[in-house]
Amino acid sequence: MIPLRVKVEVNAEEPFVVRLRSFEAEEREREPEQLNHFEVSLERADPDGADYAGEGGPIRVLGIDPSELDGDVLLVNPRRGTADRLIRSTSPHNTFLVTERCDQVCVMCSQPPKKHHVDLFTYFETAALLAPEGATIGISGGEPTLFKERLFTFLKRVLVARPDLFFHILTNGQHFEEDDRSTMTGLDQSRIVWGVPLYSHDPSVHDQVVGKQGAQERLLDNLAFLCRVGAAVELRTVLMQPNAPGLPELARFITAMLPFIRTWAVMQTENIGYGRMNWKTLFYDSSEGFDVVGRAIDLVRSRGIDARLYNFPLCTVPEAYRHLAPATISDWKRTYREECEGCSLKAECGGFFEWHPRDHGYGRLGAVQ
Amino acid sequence: MKVWPLKFREMSDGSMLFADDAGGFFKAGDDFLDRYATDGLSADDSLFLKEGSHGFERERDLPWTSFAYRWARRQSRPRKMNYVILVPTLRCNLACGYCQVSRAPEKARGFDWSDETLTGVLSFLGDLEGPDIKVEFQGGEPMLRVDLLEAVRDYCREKFSQSQFVVCTNLQKLDARAWAFLDADDTFISTSLDGDRLTHERQRTHDGDVTDAFFRNLEAVVARYPEGKISALPTVDVANPPDLDALLDNYERYGVRSVYLRPINHQGFARKFHQGDNVVARWNRLHSGFIDLLIARNHRTGRFMEEYYFSQCLKRVLRFDADNHVDIRNPNFFASDYVVVDHDGRFYPTDEARMLSRIGRIDLSIGDVATGIDRAKVDVLNSGAFNHFDPDCIHCAYQPFCGTDVVDDISRYGRVDVPRPDTWFCGRHLALFDKVFEILYRNDAPTRASLAAWLGVAAWDDGMAPVHS
Repeated sequence: MIPLRVKVEVNAEEPFVVRLRSFEAEEREREPEQLNHFEVSLERADPDGADYAGEGGPIRVLGIDPSELDGDVLLVNPRRGTADRLIRSTSPHNTFLVTERCDQVCVMCSQPPKKHHVDLFTYFETAALLAPEGATIGISGGEPTLFKERLFTFLKRVLVARPDLFFHILTNGQHFEEDDRSTMTGLDQSRIVWGVPLYSHDPSVHDQVVGKQGAQERLLDNLAFLCRVGAAVELRTVLMQPNAPGLPELARFITAMLPFIRTWAVMQTENIGYGRMNWKTLFYDSSEGFDVVGRAIDLVRSRGIDARLYNFPLCTVPEAYRHLAPATISDWKRTYREECEGCSLKAECGGFFEWHPRDHGYGRLGAVQ
Repeated sequence: MKVWPLKFREMSDGSMLFADDAGGFFKAGDDFLDRYATDGLSADDSLFLKEGSHGFERERDLPWTSFAYRWARRQSRPRKMNYVILVPTLRCNLACGYCQVSRAPEKARGFDWSDETLTGVLSFLGDLEGPDIKVEFQGGEPMLRVDLLEAVRDYCREKFSQSQFVVCTNLQKLDARAWAFLDADDTFISTSLDGDRLTHERQRTHDGDVTDAFFRNLEAVVARYPEGKISALPTVDVANPPDLDALLDNYERYGVRSVYLRPINHQGFARKFHQGDNVVARWNRLHSGFIDLLIARNHRTGRFMEEYYFSQCLKRVLRFDADNHVDIRNPNFFASDYVVVDHDGRFYPTDEARMLSRIGRIDLSIGDVATGIDRAKVDVLNSGAFNHFDPDCIHCAYQPFCGTDVVDDISRYGRVDVPRPDTWFCGRHLALFDKVFEILYRNDAPTRASLAAWLGVAAWDDGMAPVHS
């Protein structure tokens, strides 16, 4: 797995954001002009660690080859002696976890909520401004819109300062209000995708999945709000035993009520957090029961609405639907199994979650020749 | 719940098709129509209408918003000019009896772009905002002036980050320079193939050697280029149609799976082309039979072919974003995303308008490359370029899917206010949409398989077209 947190030694008290640079020898001479206030450049490296210097440093990073860190943006926590890789410059999967609080308790939550909240928006803003050209930054939680004033301010500033950046924001859609209208229309919505989950057309099923009475009703009102402010919505449905049989009805509901979504993402479950605890009653083996999935996405697509399969290993998907299954499992969570040896689709396949269980998974999988 | 207005039409199986203004549709029986018309909807009716987004509880709720969204998307019109049809020469080395543009003889003078016109065309292209452009070279036979094509293509490649070129050529004569031009990956070929050899020769080439030359070149381009590089379409004389089975075999043989079965257009020389009485009914029968033939053939071979325009109408029914075919959009405002530049540098709103003007009945030109697009004239044409308020269309269940054709009306009737049901456009499209809905509600396996292929989905099942029983 790709480490998201590294050990550091640093002579400072307060947390700070810094970007690491490794200049080639011939670039060294121009180095001072190339560095900004938040950057440090690699001075020397030995088998134990690498030393960086600059206005933001000095800093010594331990236990990782510095060539893997060039351009990375770190949030350094001096007291703990650690740094979070907020932005890995070579990865398309960079996400800011803005809070661990949430007002829903979804049965399959991969990141169960915690009460404690630390506001890191100031660091996120600095980090976003240091992101590579054209990057898409994920915003996740917890529920980011619990702190929507801070979130909106952060988005507004970064979108203005960096016209090349994009955001992908995961939200449960519970906290928008009509009063947010002018704030939302004031953001460049063409550079934001809002990932919003809907688990069933049946309010009781949806509410049960998210552990909150009345959640679906509120969500549907807010989806209408998102449509009216011109937001791009990626509707996300995690496929599970409780909602799989109703997937075709959900598809019908989408064609009638949610034609404005940009994409409908049907997603396989992650075996971590509550997902692991409830795995036996949740995991839906789509390799054996793909029929409901196929019918549902065919209906939606026949109406000109995009539908995709996220986190589905390609070998578990019938051939006619594989082109709808992009490699969505983030690089740092991804693994391939022994069965994948010699598979002709490996290069396009997102593989498995690192923590996918060996014995409770798909009935049918294996290398595709 | 407030129910959005529903329009209805009897279907071929005797049941009723209902549609709202946003293109939501369903099939139901006479009894539902009675209840709807007499304000006596049952609880089941209301639930069905609610679930289908045919009504709403309060303004801005989700059903209201989704209806508004679908309605607005169906009306949305392109605003960026990114498609130009260029006619560098009107001269042609064929003399087809049904020629829609009244081409000029190959040796004639004064029918090609002058140097000033070329400069004007490039300057017009230079003023487009980009970043993409599609250029279609029409004629006459554009390959008679490869030099002009090269000049345009070189310029566009430089100016736009994405550019694509289509040469509408009869493929009669291809010299080394022509081949070099066609070899580029950004350049595509569109040609005419009127079905079987006999029909092609009767309608187009008139001479065995000329026919041989065409088929030799067609074979050569098919062998030389990947599938998708070449498209073709047949012009069909309803009084003397080709063998449609043989036509499909021939198209498939040349790697063309999408066939735009095009009736002889009422323009240019074709106006004098007599097709007999009641052409629209005979055309509709022929076209409907062709769709059934396609379904049976696709089922038999397992290889899917389509009738391009029918697929387009099918998508117009199911989707709110199927606006990419310029013959069927609503509104269909002129000179918004595409325009035609004729051999003399004049702008026309459509190729048909150019053809119609050429015979001197009416001048539908809208400016020229020297002076720019005449927006006042475009506005006059645009005043009739939508069906929203037409006294006949407002009662038609197909209104949200259909369009209108001002230029065809002028061409045939000399005016744009003829009652819709009396027009060729309406007669043809009523039948087309009748056929679309007949197909959507069939439940035999061959039809479903073709439907799925035409819609680009893996499978179609009978739950996908809504029924209120």
